[in-house]
Amino acid sequence: MKKALIIACCVGIVLLAFSPGCSRKTNYKGKIGVTCMDLTNPFFKLIANVMQAEAAKYGYEVVALSAELDPAKQNNQMSDFVAQGYDAIFLNPVDSKSAGEGVKKAYQAGVPVFTYDVDVSDEGAKNLVVSHIGSDNYQGGELAGESMMKVTGDRGNIAIIGYPEATSAILRVQGFKDYLKKHNSNLKIVTELSGKGNRDDGYAVATDILQAHPEIVGIFAINDPSGLGTYSALVKADKTRQITIIAFDASPAGKQAVFEKKLYDSPQQYPRKMAVGTVEAFIKYLEGEKIPKVIYILCTHYYLDDAAKDPSRVAEQW
Amino acid sequence: MMRKAMSDYGMVFVLLGLCLVFSLLTIKEQVPGNDTAVSELMTRIRSDFKQDDVILVVGAARKDSEQFAGKMGEELKRQGFKNTRVVVGIPSDLRAALDEIKGAGAKPAALIAGPDVMKWRVIDHIQANYPEFSGCRILTPKTWLWPDFLKASNLLAIVDRIVVIAVIAIGMTMVIIAGGIDLSVGSLIALSAVIGTLVMKKLGGLDAPAWVVPIGFMAGIAACGIVGGLGGWIVARFNVAPFITTLAIMMVGRGLAFMITGGFSIYQVPKALPWLGQGRSLEAPNTVILVLVLYAIAHVFMSHTRMGRYIYAVGGNKEAARLSGVPVFFVTVFVYIVSSLAAGLGGCIQASQINTGTPNMGMMYELYVIAAVVVGGTSLSGGSGKMLGTLIGAFIISVIQNGMNLVGIESYTQQVVLGAVILGAVLLDKARNSGGISALLWRKR
Repeated sequence: MKKALIIACCVGIVLLAFSPGCSRKTNYKGKIGVTCMDLTNPFFKLIANVMQAEAAKYGYEVVALSAELDPAKQNNQMSDFVAQGYDAIFLNPVDSKSAGEGVKKAYQAGVPVFTYDVDVSDEGAKNLVVSHIGSDNYQGGELAGESMMKVTGDRGNIAIIGYPEATSAILRVQGFKDYLKKHNSNLKIVTELSGKGNRDDGYAVATDILQAHPEIVGIFAINDPSGLGTYSALVKADKTRQITIIAFDASPAGKQAVFEKKLYDSPQQYPRKMAVGTVEAFIKYLEGEKIPKVIYILCTHYYLDDAAKDPSRVAEQW
Repeated sequence: MMRKAMSDYGMVFVLLGLCLVFSLLTIKEQVPGNDTAVSELMTRIRSDFKQDDVILVVGAARKDSEQFAGKMGEELKRQGFKNTRVVVGIPSDLRAALDEIKGAGAKPAALIAGPDVMKWRVIDHIQANYPEFSGCRILTPKTWLWPDFLKASNLLAIVDRIVVIAVIAIGMTMVIIAGGIDLSVGSLIALSAVIGTLVMKKLGGLDAPAWVVPIGFMAGIAACGIVGGLGGWIVARFNVAPFITTLAIMMVGRGLAFMITGGFSIYQVPKALPWLGQGRSLEAPNTVILVLVLYAIAHVFMSHTRMGRYIYAVGGNKEAARLSGVPVFFVTVFVYIVSSLAAGLGGCIQASQINTGTPNMGMMYELYVIAAVVVGGTSLSGGSGKMLGTLIGAFIISVIQNGMNLVGIESYTQQVVLGAVILGAVLLDKARNSGGISALLWRKR
């Protein structure tokens, strides 16, 4: 029994050492719980870090947890945030539908929930979220459409490599198509297949597209990994001069690829702005101001010129 | 007697120690909901304010805060402060109330609120935004200190997260006592959840009546029983190592779950689905009742029935068991079926908790379950272990996870701490069985 107590004490000491409570400053106001899909993804890690720095300015400590792509784990993390009486929860749902239960729990306990990047689509929980802060994927898709018309001279056949499992990707493709339609484009979309948002599947599906439609002049891939997979397929088929790729995200790898002229454009998302915007929405909430239900962060073009003078490309950052 | 109980369930002390540590770490000011706080404030108000002063009582939209504001408002009105106004809600509600008072040309003499409301920036900036309210005094009740860890809502959160692991650990304990291991339980959670919710969806979806839910659950559990039973049969019939057999079953189960759903989550489920995981009956959460009942049955089964003793015998020495007439083949298949049925039930509970069936549920759960069983004192080499020890082990895992979230330890660090605690716990167990820490360290190899 003595030993058990000793072990428990050791655990306590370890926890104390790790616990951020020791270094509390005088302007300490409270805690914000952040739970996101996957903290091993640099995109989300960056957002969490920026939130931490931004919230610290107002005296809030951010505790960022990773749901490791498990919706049940995320649900548990929400329960813990609620039990501890955190001042707010910033939620990046693993699954738009199943995140609803956690949101309801938080709402009943009076903890305001803000979603970022991905929103909650559960009908019963949607309206309980204070505000959603995310990229305007539809508008980003329009930018991609604009670039596609420009680079192809608005002539020829094109293909889309999508990812119909993800809402963000659906919106990008929708914006892309609507832009072409609105501007009476002569471009013809001959095929639209799923590259599952990753490099390997992007490569495989692009290879198949080149077999079926060797005449195409452009490909819109809904994110950088599938765009870069497509590029590998073009290299293999020796078609890099004939076909232009437009990707999406301007991730570190995408920025470099634009700089190396592998991609023509990669409409840029702003994870930093998203993080700052979420914290600002919370502060406005505390001020008692009315906050819009959705706050969109606009995407911008990312061309060769942008890449050439972009220090974040050299630093390999978002 | 005492000594034996101690060595059997020494982990209870680890659990209590952890609870103590987390209680100390999460002590925080709590908003008083009790009458003493109200009466204490009343004496201050009676001496400082007149009966026709405008007094604003503010509460946040959370139970304790709301209760305090409600009681305070009632008491003020009862004592003749007729211009009392109670605002319960979010910061913008307070702002609206202040604007209204300003519009009416009035001026609050006092604003009463708990420490949670004091964090609202509306209150910080009241002087700047409403210069005409300059004389307004802000009063807070005396708060009391109490650990968040020991709040009733948190203890329920612990049970909520433990229930899936605890239920599956029943089957896992039997498998490990019988000298095997079952790595497939994590993916069987997903399989059961998606099959269960898919059946519910097909039988009517959102508008389906309540009886659809048990049918879905049974379908999910039965599917797991079949898949897991197949694994058990292979282990028993062909004498394949259980590690590799159940590893294969794990892949099959996860793959099937993704195939069935095409990678999407199934959310078109009846309204009665959350009852099992979130509902209450007889004033207690269903999950708590379920865990207690299942463990009572499992404990009696393992310690007081012939089948229970057979399981220990097979794990202790398979050959000896066979020679003494124990049906080794039957016992082996039986424990794997129980384990997969338990995993299936766990999947149903989890689907009910998050009101969805998702193919990526239960990732890594097999490892948490095995950790709970081993931390609970069951030997991985088979032949010994206790059902109630497993329950304690599951509590230890759950308390650590919950406590670290409460204290605010980040995800990366959490994994290190959890791993270290599991190591510490099993080493402690080893030391106890080999006669003390020094005996373990200096034992001749």
